[in-house]
Amino acid sequence: MIKRVGVAGFDRRALLKVGAAAGLAQVAAPFVISARGEAPIKIGVANPLTGTYAAPGKNESIGMQLAVDQLNAKNGILGRQIELLAEDSTSGDAGAAVQKTRKLIERDNVDFLVGNVNSALAQAMAQVSNEKGVLHIVPGGHTDPITGTDCKWNVFRVCNTTRMEANAVSDLLFKTYGKKWHFITPDYAFGHTLYQGCEADLKKLGGTVTGNELTPLGTTDFSAYLIKARAANPDVLVVLVQGNDMVNCLKQISQFGIDKQIHVAGTQQELEPVEAMPPEARVGVWMFEWYWKQAAGTPGLDQFIAETRKRSGGKVPTARTWFGYVTIHAYALACEKAKTIEAKAAAKALADLELPPEIKLQPNKVYFRGGDHQLMLSAFLGELLQTGDGDPENLFKVNSIVAGDSIAPSVADTGCKMNMPA
Amino acid sequence: MTAGEYRRVVVLAAIWAALIFAPYWMPVFGGYTALGSRVLVLGLGAMALNFLLGFTGVLSFGHAAWFGLGAYACGLTLKFIIPSTPLGLLAGTLVGGVAGALLGALLVRRRGVYFAMVTIAFGQVFYYIAFQWSSVTGGDDGLRGFARQPLDFSLFQIDLLHSDLAFYYFVLVCFAVVVAVMALILRSPFGRTMIAIRENERRARFLGIPIELHIWIAFTLSCFFMAFAGGLYALLNNFADPRVLHYSLSGDFVIMAVMGGMRMFWGPLLGAVVFVVLQDYLSSLTVNWMSFIGVLIVLIVLFFPRGILGLIRQRRTA
Repeated sequence: MIKRVGVAGFDRRALLKVGAAAGLAQVAAPFVISARGEAPIKIGVANPLTGTYAAPGKNESIGMQLAVDQLNAKNGILGRQIELLAEDSTSGDAGAAVQKTRKLIERDNVDFLVGNVNSALAQAMAQVSNEKGVLHIVPGGHTDPITGTDCKWNVFRVCNTTRMEANAVSDLLFKTYGKKWHFITPDYAFGHTLYQGCEADLKKLGGTVTGNELTPLGTTDFSAYLIKARAANPDVLVVLVQGNDMVNCLKQISQFGIDKQIHVAGTQQELEPVEAMPPEARVGVWMFEWYWKQAAGTPGLDQFIAETRKRSGGKVPTARTWFGYVTIHAYALACEKAKTIEAKAAAKALADLELPPEIKLQPNKVYFRGGDHQLMLSAFLGELLQTGDGDPENLFKVNSIVAGDSIAPSVADTGCKMNMPA
Repeated sequence: MTAGEYRRVVVLAAIWAALIFAPYWMPVFGGYTALGSRVLVLGLGAMALNFLLGFTGVLSFGHAAWFGLGAYACGLTLKFIIPSTPLGLLAGTLVGGVAGALLGALLVRRRGVYFAMVTIAFGQVFYYIAFQWSSVTGGDDGLRGFARQPLDFSLFQIDLLHSDLAFYYFVLVCFAVVVAVMALILRSPFGRTMIAIRENERRARFLGIPIELHIWIAFTLSCFFMAFAGGLYALLNNFADPRVLHYSLSGDFVIMAVMGGMRMFWGPLLGAVVFVVLQDYLSSLTVNWMSFIGVLIVLIVLFFPRGILGLIRQRRTA
């Protein structure tokens, strides 16, 4: 009886089917590994490609790809070509970012990890990269602990900390607009620490907070928060939300005419949301972390703008493009300096790296601080323009460029205790 | 041994062999060990949901709540109370299961769409608690700062954190134990009663079966299994965030169960394999990976309402 079933289980048709399936699998097998010669250096990127931070995420990709192409044209890193592997981390799903990070490290064995625009996702990714001992640069998540209380030997950051942003603008806002501030804050790591920084600075200056509206990431309707803010009657409405949330918030502020009654300003502003909002919503004093319109003769700037325009459908580089560009070049410089891509040696080389002029693309000295792995980059202070000055994308008037180390808290004040493994 | 029994033993042996040797054959197809662990954990969750959906005929659309409670309780235990993997899992299972038992008592009189809606509502309550209570749960940033601990057998230790392989087998052993318990319950008279309720609730009631009590017990058991899977999920990622409580994850579990075949014991596991592997592969290629899953589920529901496994069964009997 047993024998009969066994034979019946493997008739000619079944055999044909198995054969066909196996044949198909050879063609369709999604993950066939190609031959390995001098294997390329793999850089894994988990960044938002969908959701409220999709635009900054995509611009960081453009900057990274530009840097990779430049390096590959000049023999790569240590003679090895570079390969970028990009994954969509989503804009706010930390679980997805963790999963993507594990995939990049465990499946693709990346040598270097980049991410994330969202602070919370960046923190979650840093825990994974640290567990796995992979060198990791955060290209655009600002919350303090990443290079503060939660700093790690393998994690570096090229954008500002929220405390640096608050310090850069608070004084100016206070002098320009007045001392009663009301906040609209995104309800996650970035918003929490940015608010803390602003509040501390404001108290020091002798001002008061009339209220803080915590808004979930991805909020589209800000009307309830705006009505509350208007009722509190502050001197300044400080908008801390970012990405598409910023677009929606400023749009509704101008629709409600709040900017006619209360000054509207904020800390961090970016070209992506500014371009996406209607002209009448472009109001207030802000800081940019990098801006493309600078004094003529800045080394390498014209070429960077021209190369970016080629890859972005004619758009100028934003701070995000620059973050991506710097991230890859800083990694390459560190590996060349350490003469290896091994994570610990490269981290040591990166820890006190100063960026050369054609990469920093700005006047002040730009370097990684060894004590907390934070890049000291300038803050561009100024005000938004409703229509482009000279170029449709020149929507910000830079009044001053402040060196990063003059606004950054000391390493001791960040709370970072760096433990480099032996 | 009859032909049917023989075939069953062969199929079971094949399933377990495939699972046991997964870390060795998966890389050939581009898989990786952590993906295997993920399939097992989510598959266990889908099977726990199916314990209720497929065998009692009650659709819960908020089962992620118990999954997420298990994950958070496990993570919080490891972070704040005691760094021990088994105790973390135990705490996760108890918290999720007990919460399910208590709220289940309020639920059992509802049927059909009302039951589904109330389960969504309860699930979302936990979602917003986790989202708002930043000081304990980490809010939208998620719960970090815990990691799975080595298993201590006093004579020797097993490092689960740095060895994906060790963790995979740890998950597989957990999976096997829970699945065995599930199978035993389903084969018991109580399990038969569950199926009787699914097939015809009114007739079962006329036979003198206390329907509400039975549904409550089935719901509670399902919550315990789900919370256990949630605890494993927290260990898998060393992380938990509010989205593990969100109803969209409940929807994913329902999709896995329906796609694989919800009348079959192993159906949800197959659904989880398809769902997780497709997600893993497609999401590297396109940000619109969900559309492909969507098309697949539409096709399956339209043409093979009994799921993938149901299709295979049907072919064989035809």
